[in-house]
Amino acid sequence: MGSSVSHAATLPPPPPPPPAVGLTGVLPPKTEEKGETKVDWLNLPCPVPFEEIQREALMSLKPELFEGLRFDFTKGLNQKFSLSHSVFMGSMEVPSQSSDTIKVPTAHYEFGANFLDPKLMLVGRVLTDGRLNARVKCDLTDNLTLKINAQLTNEPHFSQGMFNFDYKGKDYRSQFQVGNNAFYGANYIQSVSPHLSLGSEVFWLGHQRKSGIGFAARYNTDKMVATGQVASTGIVALSYVQKVSEKVSLASDFMYNHMTRDVTSSFGYDYILRQCRLRGKIDSTGCVAAYLEERLNMGVNFILSAEIDHRKKDYKFGFGMTVGE
Amino acid sequence: MASRVSSKGKGKAARGSRGSDGRSTARCVKTWSTWAMKKAKVITHYGFIPLIIIIGMNSEPKPQLSQLLSPV
Repeated sequence: MGSSVSHAATLPPPPPPPPAVGLTGVLPPKTEEKGETKVDWLNLPCPVPFEEIQREALMSLKPELFEGLRFDFTKGLNQKFSLSHSVFMGSMEVPSQSSDTIKVPTAHYEFGANFLDPKLMLVGRVLTDGRLNARVKCDLTDNLTLKINAQLTNEPHFSQGMFNFDYKGKDYRSQFQVGNNAFYGANYIQSVSPHLSLGSEVFWLGHQRKSGIGFAARYNTDKMVATGQVASTGIVALSYVQKVSEKVSLASDFMYNHMTRDVTSSFGYDYILRQCRLRGKIDSTGCVAAYLEERLNMGVNFILSAEIDHRKKDYKFGFGMTVGE
Repeated sequence: MASRVSSKGKGKAARGSRGSDGRSTARCVKTWSTWAMKKAKVITHYGFIPLIIIIGMNSEPKPQLSQLLSPV
Protein backbone atom coordinates (compact mmCIF):
# COMPACT_ATOMS: atom_id res chain seq x y z
CA MET A 1 0.00 0.00 0.00
CA GLY A 2 1.29 3.33 -0.91
CA SER A 3 0.90 4.93 2.46
CA SER A 4 2.80 2.20 4.31
CA VAL A 5 5.60 2.30 1.73
CA SER A 6 5.83 6.03 2.08
CA HIS A 7 5.83 5.65 5.84
CA ALA A 8 8.60 3.07 5.67
CA ALA A 9 10.57 5.21 3.24
CA THR A 10 10.47 8.26 5.44
CA LEU A 11 12.29 6.95 8.45
CA PRO A 12 11.40 8.55 11.72
CA PRO A 13 13.96 11.13 12.74
CA PRO A 14 16.76 9.56 14.77
CA PRO A 15 16.23 9.86 18.51
CA PRO A 16 18.14 12.74 20.09
CA PRO A 17 21.51 11.68 21.54
CA PRO A 18 21.36 10.87 25.24
CA PRO A 19 22.22 13.83 27.41
CA ALA A 20 25.92 13.94 28.14
CA VAL A 21 26.67 12.43 31.50
CA GLY A 22 29.53 13.60 33.63
CA LEU A 23 32.80 14.21 31.87
CA THR A 24 31.66 13.22 28.39
CA GLY A 25 29.70 16.44 28.23
CA VAL A 26 32.70 18.51 29.22
CA LEU A 27 35.58 16.95 27.28
CA PRO A 28 35.75 17.43 23.51
CA PRO A 29 34.64 14.38 21.55
CA LYS A 30 37.40 11.89 20.91
CA THR A 31 38.77 12.35 17.43
CA GLU A 32 40.13 9.36 15.53
CA GLU A 33 43.73 10.13 16.25
CA LYS A 34 45.19 6.69 16.33
CA GLY A 35 47.53 7.04 13.37
CA GLU A 36 44.87 8.29 11.01
CA THR A 37 45.61 12.02 10.97
CA LYS A 38 48.23 13.06 8.50
CA VAL A 39 51.26 14.72 10.03
CA ASP A 40 51.40 18.36 9.06
CA TRP A 41 55.15 18.70 8.60
CA LEU A 42 54.96 22.43 8.25
CA ASN A 43 53.09 22.98 11.48
CA LEU A 44 55.10 21.16 14.09
CA PRO A 45 54.70 22.17 17.72
CA CYS A 46 57.29 24.34 19.40
CA PRO A 47 59.70 22.22 21.43
CA VAL A 48 60.49 22.70 25.10
CA PRO A 49 63.54 24.85 25.86
CA PHE A 50 66.84 22.99 25.70
CA GLU A 51 67.58 23.25 29.40
CA GLU A 52 64.16 21.84 30.23
CA ILE A 53 64.51 18.82 28.06
CA GLN A 54 64.62 16.55 31.10
CA ARG A 55 62.23 18.56 33.22
CA GLU A 56 59.69 15.82 33.92
CA ALA A 57 62.42 13.48 35.10
CA LEU A 58 64.07 16.19 37.18
CA MET A 59 60.80 17.20 38.79
CA SER A 60 60.08 13.65 39.83
CA LEU A 61 63.55 12.45 40.73
CA LYS A 62 65.22 15.50 42.21
CA PRO A 63 63.05 17.21 44.77
CA GLU A 64 64.70 19.80 47.00
CA LEU A 65 65.74 17.53 49.82
CA PHE A 66 66.98 19.29 52.92
CA GLU A 67 68.01 18.54 56.47
CA GLY A 68 66.67 20.53 59.37
CA LEU A 69 63.89 23.03 59.73
CA ARG A 70 62.54 25.13 56.92
CA PHE A 71 59.89 27.78 57.14
CA ASP A 72 58.77 29.87 54.17
CA PHE A 73 56.28 32.66 54.34
CA THR A 74 55.11 34.40 51.20
CA LYS A 75 53.01 37.48 51.56
CA GLY A 76 51.29 38.86 48.53
CA LEU A 77 50.70 42.58 48.51
CA ASN A 78 49.34 42.71 45.06
CA GLN A 79 48.50 40.45 42.15
CA LYS A 80 52.02 40.92 40.85
CA PHE A 81 54.14 41.84 43.85
CA SER A 82 54.96 39.69 46.87
CA LEU A 83 57.51 39.49 49.63
CA SER A 84 58.88 36.31 51.09
CA HIS A 85 60.56 35.50 54.38
CA SER A 86 62.33 32.23 54.81
CA VAL A 87 64.09 30.67 57.79
CA PHE A 88 66.35 27.65 57.61
CA MET A 89 68.09 25.92 60.51
CA GLY A 90 69.97 22.76 59.84
CA SER A 91 73.01 21.20 58.29
CA MET A 92 74.22 21.94 54.83
CA GLU A 93 76.59 19.64 53.11
CA VAL A 94 79.97 20.97 52.08
CA PRO A 95 81.55 19.21 49.13
CA SER A 96 84.71 17.43 50.22
CA GLN A 97 87.42 15.51 48.42
CA SER A 98 87.34 12.49 50.70
CA SER A 99 84.42 10.13 50.82
CA ASP A 100 83.25 11.47 54.19
CA THR A 101 80.46 13.96 54.09
CA ILE A 102 81.14 17.19 55.89
CA LYS A 103 78.08 18.83 57.33
CA VAL A 104 78.13 22.38 58.54
CA PRO A 105 75.33 23.54 60.82
CA THR A 106 73.90 26.74 59.41
CA ALA A 107 71.01 28.98 60.20
CA HIS A 108 69.91 31.79 57.98
CA TYR A 109 67.08 34.11 57.24
CA GLU A 110 66.32 35.01 53.69
CA PHE A 111 64.28 37.96 52.55
CA GLY A 112 62.91 37.99 49.07
CA ALA A 113 60.86 40.15 46.78
CA ASN A 114 59.07 38.96 43.64
CA PHE A 115 57.51 40.97 40.90
CA LEU A 116 55.65 38.90 38.33
CA ASP A 117 54.25 40.53 35.24
CA PRO A 118 53.44 38.75 31.98
CA LYS A 119 56.30 40.61 30.35
CA LEU A 120 58.74 41.11 33.20
CA MET A 121 59.65 38.90 36.09
CA LEU A 122 62.00 40.01 38.85
CA VAL A 123 62.93 37.71 41.70
CA GLY A 124 65.47 38.67 44.32
CA ARG A 125 66.56 36.88 47.48
CA VAL A 126 69.05 38.17 50.00
CA LEU A 127 70.52 36.16 52.86
CA THR A 128 71.78 37.30 56.23
CA ASP A 129 75.39 36.86 55.14
CA GLY A 130 74.92 39.26 52.27
CA ARG A 131 74.52 36.88 49.38
CA LEU A 132 72.08 37.97 46.72
CA ASN A 133 70.28 35.68 44.28
CA ALA A 134 68.77 37.63 41.45
CA ARG A 135 66.68 36.42 38.53
CA VAL A 136 65.30 38.61 35.81
CA LYS A 137 63.19 37.48 32.87
CA CYS A 138 62.13 40.07 30.38
CA ASP A 139 60.20 39.62 27.11
CA LEU A 140 61.87 42.04 24.78
CA THR A 141 59.61 41.14 21.89
CA ASP A 142 57.09 38.37 21.28
CA ASN A 143 59.78 35.88 20.44
CA LEU A 144 62.91 37.22 22.12
CA THR A 145 63.41 36.83 25.84
CA LEU A 146 66.26 37.99 28.03
CA LYS A 147 66.99 36.07 31.21
CA ILE A 148 69.56 37.09 33.78
CA ASN A 149 70.65 34.88 36.65
CA ALA A 150 73.13 36.12 39.22
CA GLN A 151 74.53 35.12 42.59
CA LEU A 152 76.45 37.97 44.13
CA THR A 153 78.50 37.62 47.27
CA ASN A 154 80.48 39.95 49.44
CA GLU A 155 83.64 37.94 48.96
CA PRO A 156 85.48 38.96 45.82
CA HIS A 157 85.71 36.56 42.90
CA PHE A 158 82.90 34.34 44.11
CA SER A 159 80.05 36.01 42.29
CA GLN A 160 78.46 34.44 39.26
CA GLY A 161 76.22 35.81 36.61
CA MET A 162 74.70 34.60 33.39
CA PHE A 163 72.85 36.38 30.60
CA ASN A 164 70.63 34.29 28.31
CA PHE A 165 69.01 35.46 25.11
CA ASP A 166 66.26 33.12 23.97
CA TYR A 167 64.66 33.21 20.58
CA LYS A 168 61.53 31.19 19.97
CA GLY A 169 60.71 30.34 16.39
CA LYS A 170 57.74 28.46 14.98
CA ASP A 171 59.10 25.01 15.58
CA TYR A 172 62.51 25.69 17.03
CA ARG A 173 64.16 27.50 19.89
CA SER A 174 67.64 28.89 20.12
CA GLN A 175 69.52 30.39 23.03
CA PHE A 176 72.74 32.29 23.46
CA GLN A 177 74.41 32.51 26.87
CA VAL A 178 77.10 34.81 28.21
CA GLY A 179 78.44 34.24 31.68
CA ASN A 180 81.23 35.32 33.99
CA ASN A 181 84.63 33.67 33.70
CA ALA A 182 84.23 34.34 29.96
CA PHE A 183 81.62 31.65 29.48
CA TYR A 184 79.84 31.60 26.15
CA GLY A 185 77.27 29.05 25.17
CA ALA A 186 74.64 28.50 22.54
CA ASN A 187 72.02 25.88 22.05
CA TYR A 188 69.40 25.06 19.50
CA ILE A 189 66.47 22.66 19.54
CA GLN A 190 64.18 21.77 16.65
CA SER A 191 60.99 19.73 16.36
CA VAL A 192 61.43 17.12 13.66
CA SER A 193 58.14 15.37 14.17
CA PRO A 194 55.09 15.96 16.36
CA HIS A 195 56.68 13.83 19.05
CA LEU A 196 60.43 14.05 18.50
CA SER A 197 62.71 17.01 18.94
CA LEU A 198 66.47 17.13 18.55
CA GLY A 199 68.84 19.71 19.92
CA SER A 200 72.48 20.50 20.35
CA GLU A 201 74.60 22.87 22.39
CA VAL A 202 78.11 24.23 22.36
CA PHE A 203 79.95 26.10 25.06
CA TRP A 204 83.28 27.78 25.55
CA LEU A 205 84.83 28.51 28.92
CA GLY A 206 87.39 31.26 28.45
CA HIS A 207 89.28 31.13 31.72
CA GLN A 208 90.00 27.45 31.55
CA ARG A 209 90.12 27.22 27.78
CA LYS A 210 87.58 24.44 27.74
CA SER A 211 84.96 23.91 25.11
CA GLY A 212 82.33 21.30 24.63
CA ILE A 213 79.52 20.20 22.41
CA GLY A 214 76.49 18.15 23.26
CA PHE A 215 73.47 16.60 21.59
CA ALA A 216 70.05 15.86 22.99
CA ALA A 217 66.91 14.17 21.83
CA ARG A 218 63.46 14.13 23.34
CA TYR A 219 60.57 11.91 22.39
CA ASN A 220 57.29 12.59 24.10
CA THR A 221 53.73 11.49 23.77
CA ASP A 222 50.83 12.08 26.11
CA LYS A 223 51.84 9.18 28.25
CA MET A 224 55.60 9.13 28.26
CA VAL A 225 58.71 11.18 27.79
CA ALA A 226 62.07 9.73 26.84
CA THR A 227 65.18 11.85 26.59
CA GLY A 228 68.82 11.24 25.86
CA GLN A 229 71.78 13.56 26.13
CA VAL A 230 75.37 13.09 25.13
CA ALA A 231 78.11 15.63 25.75
CA SER A 232 81.76 15.84 24.77
CA THR A 233 82.63 16.22 28.46
CA GLY A 234 82.02 12.48 28.53
CA ILE A 235 78.54 12.46 30.01
CA VAL A 236 75.70 10.34 28.73
CA ALA A 237 72.32 10.92 30.39
CA LEU A 238 69.13 9.07 29.58
CA SER A 239 65.77 9.41 31.23
CA TYR A 240 62.32 7.94 30.87
CA VAL A 241 59.09 9.09 32.49
CA GLN A 242 55.84 7.19 32.17
CA LYS A 243 52.58 8.76 33.18
CA VAL A 244 50.71 5.79 34.54
CA SER A 245 47.59 7.77 35.36
CA GLU A 246 46.53 11.35 36.10
CA LYS A 247 47.90 11.06 39.60
CA VAL A 248 50.86 8.75 39.27
CA SER A 249 53.99 8.92 37.21
CA LEU A 250 57.10 6.80 37.32
CA ALA A 251 60.50 8.04 36.29
CA SER A 252 63.89 6.54 35.76
CA ASP A 253 67.23 8.05 35.01
CA PHE A 254 70.65 6.81 33.94
CA MET A 255 73.89 8.74 33.89
CA TYR A 256 77.32 7.64 32.78
CA ASN A 257 80.45 9.74 33.19
CA HIS A 258 83.19 8.55 30.91
CA MET A 259 85.96 10.52 32.59
CA THR A 260 85.40 9.18 36.08
CA ARG A 261 83.80 5.90 34.97
CA ASP A 262 80.82 6.68 37.20
CA VAL A 263 77.49 5.07 36.53
CA THR A 264 74.38 6.12 38.40
CA SER A 265 70.85 5.15 37.83
CA SER A 266 67.77 5.96 39.82
CA PHE A 267 64.16 5.05 39.80
CA GLY A 268 61.37 7.06 41.34
CA TYR A 269 57.69 7.72 41.61
CA ASP A 270 55.62 10.85 41.82
CA TYR A 271 52.11 10.77 43.26
CA ILE A 272 50.18 14.00 42.76
CA LEU A 273 47.09 13.59 44.90
CA ARG A 274 44.47 16.07 45.91
CA GLN A 275 45.92 16.98 49.27
CA CYS A 276 49.52 15.99 48.90
CA ARG A 277 52.38 15.34 46.58
CA LEU A 278 54.67 12.44 47.39
CA ARG A 279 57.90 11.75 45.56
CA GLY A 280 60.24 8.91 46.30
CA LYS A 281 63.30 7.51 44.67
CA ILE A 282 65.92 4.86 45.02
CA ASP A 283 69.40 5.14 43.62
CA SER A 284 72.06 2.75 42.50
CA THR A 285 74.43 4.38 45.02
CA GLY A 286 72.30 2.93 47.78
CA CYS A 287 70.43 6.14 48.48
CA VAL A 288 66.71 6.17 49.24
CA ALA A 289 64.86 9.46 49.42
CA ALA A 290 61.32 10.69 49.85
CA TYR A 291 59.69 14.11 49.85
CA LEU A 292 56.16 14.84 50.97
CA GLU A 293 54.23 18.08 50.59
CA GLU A 294 50.92 17.96 52.38
CA ARG A 295 48.33 20.64 52.02
CA LEU A 296 46.90 21.28 55.45
CA ASN A 297 44.79 24.25 54.57
CA MET A 298 44.48 26.83 51.84
CA GLY A 299 47.99 28.13 51.37
CA VAL A 300 49.54 26.13 54.24
CA ASN A 301 51.78 23.25 53.25
CA PHE A 302 53.65 20.88 55.50
CA ILE A 303 56.84 19.41 54.10
CA LEU A 304 58.76 16.30 55.11
CA SER A 305 62.03 15.33 53.52
CA ALA A 306 64.09 12.20 54.11
CA GLU A 307 67.25 10.92 52.52
CA ILE A 308 69.03 7.80 53.67
CA ASP A 309 72.38 6.98 52.12
CA HIS A 310 73.19 3.46 53.15
CA ARG A 311 76.63 3.39 51.63
CA LYS A 312 77.94 6.53 53.31
CA LYS A 313 75.78 6.04 56.41
CA ASP A 314 74.40 9.54 56.02
CA TYR A 315 70.86 10.09 57.30
CA LYS A 316 69.09 13.35 56.58
CA PHE A 317 65.63 14.22 57.81
CA GLY A 318 63.96 17.56 57.49
CA PHE A 319 60.61 19.10 58.14
CA GLY A 320 59.12 22.42 57.28
CA MET A 321 56.14 24.56 56.59
CA THR A 322 55.26 26.81 53.70
CA VAL A 323 52.69 29.51 54.25
CA GLY A 324 51.33 31.55 51.40
CA GLU A 325 50.92 30.85 47.73
CA MET B 1 96.98 50.20 40.14
CA ALA B 2 100.66 51.17 40.40
CA SER B 3 101.81 47.83 39.06
CA ARG B 4 99.34 48.09 36.20
CA VAL B 5 100.66 51.52 35.20
CA SER B 6 104.28 50.40 35.35
CA SER B 7 103.62 47.29 33.27
CA LYS B 8 101.82 49.46 30.75
CA GLY B 9 104.89 51.67 30.53
CA LYS B 10 107.28 48.73 30.19
CA GLY B 11 105.07 47.13 27.55
CA LYS B 12 105.08 50.31 25.52
CA ALA B 13 108.82 50.75 25.69
CA ALA B 14 109.58 47.13 24.86
CA ARG B 15 107.30 46.83 21.89
CA GLY B 16 108.08 50.21 20.49
CA SER B 17 105.96 51.15 17.52
CA ARG B 18 104.67 47.64 16.78
CA GLY B 19 100.92 48.25 17.10
CA SER B 20 101.43 49.93 20.48
CA ASP B 21 98.34 52.09 19.88
CA GLY B 22 96.17 49.04 19.29
CA ARG B 23 97.45 47.35 22.43
CA SER B 24 97.00 50.36 24.66
CA THR B 25 93.41 50.94 23.49
CA ALA B 26 92.63 47.28 24.08
CA ARG B 27 94.13 47.53 27.52
CA CYS B 28 92.20 50.75 28.17
CA VAL B 29 88.97 49.09 27.11
CA LYS B 30 89.71 46.13 29.36
CA THR B 31 90.52 48.36 32.34
CA TRP B 32 87.42 50.47 31.90
CA SER B 33 85.15 47.48 31.36
CA THR B 34 86.51 45.80 34.49
CA TRP B 35 85.89 49.01 36.44
CA ALA B 36 82.36 49.22 35.01
CA MET B 37 81.63 45.61 35.90
CA LYS B 38 82.84 46.14 39.46
CA LYS B 39 80.63 49.20 39.87
CA ALA B 40 77.68 47.40 38.28
CA LYS B 41 78.15 44.49 40.66
CA VAL B 42 78.10 46.75 43.72
CA ILE B 43 75.08 48.67 42.44
CA THR B 44 73.19 45.46 41.70
CA HIS B 45 74.13 43.96 45.04
CA TYR B 46 72.71 46.86 47.02
CA GLY B 47 70.03 48.09 44.69
CA PHE B 48 68.30 45.05 43.20
CA ILE B 49 65.89 44.31 46.02
CA PRO B 50 65.01 48.01 46.56
CA LEU B 51 64.39 48.22 42.82
CA ILE B 52 61.93 45.34 42.95
CA ILE B 53 60.20 46.90 45.94
CA ILE B 54 59.89 50.27 44.21
CA ILE B 55 58.54 48.71 41.03
CA GLY B 56 56.13 46.59 43.05
CA MET B 57 54.85 49.44 45.20
CA ASN B 58 54.14 51.45 42.07
CA SER B 59 52.23 48.73 40.24
CA GLU B 60 48.43 48.70 40.16
CA PRO B 61 46.62 48.34 42.57
CA LYS B 62 49.00 50.29 44.77
CA PRO B 63 49.65 48.52 48.06
CA GLN B 64 49.98 50.47 51.27
CA LEU B 65 53.30 51.07 52.96
CA SER B 66 51.99 49.45 56.14
CA GLN B 67 51.40 46.23 54.21
CA LEU B 68 55.05 46.19 53.32
CA LEU B 69 56.21 46.21 56.92
CA SER B 70 53.56 44.28 58.82
CA PRO B 71 53.67 40.48 58.89
CA VAL B 72 49.96 39.98 58.25
